[in-house]
Amino acid sequence: MKNTLVVIGCGRLGSSIANYASQSGDDVIVIDSDEASFDRLDELFSGIAKAADATDVDALEDAGLPSAREAVITTGDDNVNLFLAHLCAKKYQIPYIYVRFDDPDKGLLIQGLNVKAIYPFQLSRDRFSLLRDGTIPGEDK
Amino acid sequence: MKIVVAGGNAEAEYIISMLKGKGTELVVINGSKEVANKIVKRQKVPVYVGSPWRRYALEESNAYDADAFIALSSSDTDNYASCYLAKTVFNAKKCVCVVSNPTNVALYQSLGIDSVISSSYLLGQSIKNESSVEDLFKTLSLENGKIVMIEAVVLSKFKMANKMLKDIHFPSYASIACIERFPDIIIPKGDTYIQPKDKLMVICRSQDQKRVMAFIRQED
Repeated sequence: MKNTLVVIGCGRLGSSIANYASQSGDDVIVIDSDEASFDRLDELFSGIAKAADATDVDALEDAGLPSAREAVITTGDDNVNLFLAHLCAKKYQIPYIYVRFDDPDKGLLIQGLNVKAIYPFQLSRDRFSLLRDGTIPGEDK
Repeated sequence: MKIVVAGGNAEAEYIISMLKGKGTELVVINGSKEVANKIVKRQKVPVYVGSPWRRYALEESNAYDADAFIALSSSDTDNYASCYLAKTVFNAKKCVCVVSNPTNVALYQSLGIDSVISSSYLLGQSIKNESSVEDLFKTLSLENGKIVMIEAVVLSKFKMANKMLKDIHFPSYASIACIERFPDIIIPKGDTYIQPKDKLMVICRSQDQKRVMAFIRQED
């Protein structure tokens, strides 16, 4: 279990990270309450997909979250993501924790914790600036 | 005293009706326009419409430095996020987080929320207490069930009746906080006599409740 990467929330971002990590050779566990979301995992995905509510701590423990090396938190609800980030950092002391927040103000609430945040809003804004400057061409993917 | 009531519907209205006036500065935040309108109409207090887990909502409603922040929405994680924001950014002195899942009580407390309340948790605690208590005893759980207050009526057949407190060797793991001897309330000292019909208010740890009750119930 020591090198496991656990992805909570199998949306577009979560599934894409899970697919990529699995193909790069990581042991991946994906958790989402909606089993249909696992359709986003591609055929080469060789990890484990578990249907469980992200706020059900017993289910997360059953899925192996406490012994994960990395946790990637990408559910669609910022408040659930905040709670999970605190849980992973304070209770399970997972070494690497990444969380997605739509609301950049959530960053205030993970200060001092071993949690790295991803803000799609900021990334889009930064990319807009680069595109506008002509620093990067517009047509690349 | 400044109190922020965040989210909730009927429970929010009830709490607002209890707290308004009496020198309390109330800040009410609710995500639903309909609930907000109902509260404004019936309780005559201003309501800020917004999500209490958003920084700008707490800023615009001036929710700074609250003595108490009460989160009542129906989502446990929304209440968790609101309380955490109120505590860390808006300097709330005490946060009360209402949860529907009783297992979140201990969990949220371990993650730094002062006070977590679940109605099914409280119900479970009181059933647990009442099932171990006979008619002469009433109990009240405090501090999330760590402490209990036992209300016990002394009968004349009890060993402790008509004795001085210092002579009954009351157990060291419990304390008689006060005695109700109608119409008086007595704060007992060593030389206080325990009389039949006295109502003792005894404080102890919840794990000691049974042996405290057994001690009181000893007969001559």
